[in-house]
Amino acid sequence: MNFNSTGNNFGAGQIAFKSHQEENFVVLNAKFTYNPESPEYQAADVLEIYVPDLSIDRSAIAGVFLRFRDVRDSYGYTWDNSGGTVLKSWVKDKNTLCIEKLTNFDEKGEITIYVLALYTMLARGGNPIKGTQTRLQTTSENNYLRWGYDSFFVEFEHWVFLHMMYSGCTYAYRDSAWECSLDNLPSGITADVPFCGGGNQYNPSVDGMSEAHIENGVLTCQTRTAGFDDTGHEPFIFAFLVRDVEE
Amino acid sequence: MIALPSIAFGGFSGSAKGVTARQVGGRSILSVRSWPTGQTTTAQVVRRASMSKITKSYKTLTAAQMQAWENLAQHCSGASVFGQKAELSGINLYVRLNANRVMAGEAIVADAPLGQVAVPNVEYSTVSVTPQLIVFAGIKHESSPYKLVVKMSGSQSAGISNGWSKTVIISSEVEDDWGEADVTKLYLKTIGVEPTPGQKVFIEAYWLDTTTGFTGQVFKDSVIVTGESSYTPRKRVTMDRLLPDHEQHVSSIDVDFSSGAPVVQFDVMCEGHSNVASSEAYLEQDLPEELRGTSWALGRGNGEDGKIVAQSYVMWLYGAYYSTPARITFAHRGGYYVKPTEVFGPGIIY
Repeated sequence: MNFNSTGNNFGAGQIAFKSHQEENFVVLNAKFTYNPESPEYQAADVLEIYVPDLSIDRSAIAGVFLRFRDVRDSYGYTWDNSGGTVLKSWVKDKNTLCIEKLTNFDEKGEITIYVLALYTMLARGGNPIKGTQTRLQTTSENNYLRWGYDSFFVEFEHWVFLHMMYSGCTYAYRDSAWECSLDNLPSGITADVPFCGGGNQYNPSVDGMSEAHIENGVLTCQTRTAGFDDTGHEPFIFAFLVRDVEE
Repeated sequence: MIALPSIAFGGFSGSAKGVTARQVGGRSILSVRSWPTGQTTTAQVVRRASMSKITKSYKTLTAAQMQAWENLAQHCSGASVFGQKAELSGINLYVRLNANRVMAGEAIVADAPLGQVAVPNVEYSTVSVTPQLIVFAGIKHESSPYKLVVKMSGSQSAGISNGWSKTVIISSEVEDDWGEADVTKLYLKTIGVEPTPGQKVFIEAYWLDTTTGFTGQVFKDSVIVTGESSYTPRKRVTMDRLLPDHEQHVSSIDVDFSSGAPVVQFDVMCEGHSNVASSEAYLEQDLPEELRGTSWALGRGNGEDGKIVAQSYVMWLYGAYYSTPARITFAHRGGYYVKPTEVFGPGIIY
């Protein structure tokens, strides 16, 4: 089910959500930006997004992604030091989605938030329901883009959990726009997803954060942050994704 | 011979023996002096002291503030905001609301609330009282500024049908955890002895609006103490369920298996160990087969160096195996590894 926010307390515009809602959990997908200089944002202690009735009236904590842009030019080169981290988020009541306010990167200008999260209730009188893990099969031209063993999805009728671990890229393609077929990814997934990881020389409190796009079973990523291939900063994608299927 | 006071004596006031007569709002009120039936608790002493302090503070209000309390008191008269009908004066209301606020840890307010506030009524599905466990379940949660006040009695004869006068406040700020409130420690601290199986415990509960001091209707209940609890707490791994005297690599842990959804909920501070990018938590009790498996959740660095790096973690939920106790391993996967890292949020399980 898709819906639009009815308001917020931090000066962002209307936010479009995709959702799958059940009695004890909801999966929400959205991407939006805000301006840290806006008076509404500065007055807020917690970022609140007002939404039409959700199926749950509160949730445990989930994680959403914050991304800032930091692109610098030096000696004719462009250094993309964009980065980000994870914020805590929760459903406060049927009509309010909350996101932790983290001011560490306010001076960077416009901030992007990616909500690719599942919000669950607790004490529902049942054990967790186990899904089935399926290894992700990928194809790229001459296999220039390689993914690690921990790249997989867990499929449900209306949503998918996706985890991808970047393994390596053929040197000749390192600065190209990447395109990779996710051969067995379930249908109906279209989303911008943060590609977390890679060193961040100018923002050492966080890793780099690039953006990838998934549509029609194809992952594209136009550019990566400067330290993307740094050892020990393994890039990954972590997302609960709503499928575009009839509810 | 002592002439007993009577409401027939209009305008009579004063005390004779254990009876006091007073005039309130044109009505004659007779009250019999009550004597404490048990030992005075520390909480009672503290509350009486605070009542005295609040009463004295009324004199420091401005005339306008006092008038505002009088005005509000007129609207509260006869209303059931305190669960009983009564005439109230401005100072009565001031003391009552502020006593409630102080009990909830709030400061005394000089200004009267703008009006009466509707406070929700307490709803819960079960209360289980055993010598080892006293727990309310299925509490309909109310968010701040509401706090749940719970009053309970010691064990009474099962034949007593009205023992609510024996209840004392065991807590003025019970917080339900997803509808569940374990008040065992609070009960033992206040009452001093475990409830006795076969006897009856009386309960009063109400929500307190800590902003204004208004309270909801008092919900009265009673329960026969049983030897064994029929209530099954939800399945979780918390610090008190880790194996004592065993090396642990988490400084806090709450792994909750009660979602009924395809996820386990994590809230864990992973400290890491040696040169391995993982943390282990060893459990006192075995992990049931249905809860074992593999899960994934997000992490965020929480290092002293200020690193708040986004990471992904895989969790392996193992049962006991020969001499190795059940354990949960939190293994770092994506992003830069930071010690410590907070692993939180829902994790898919398979």
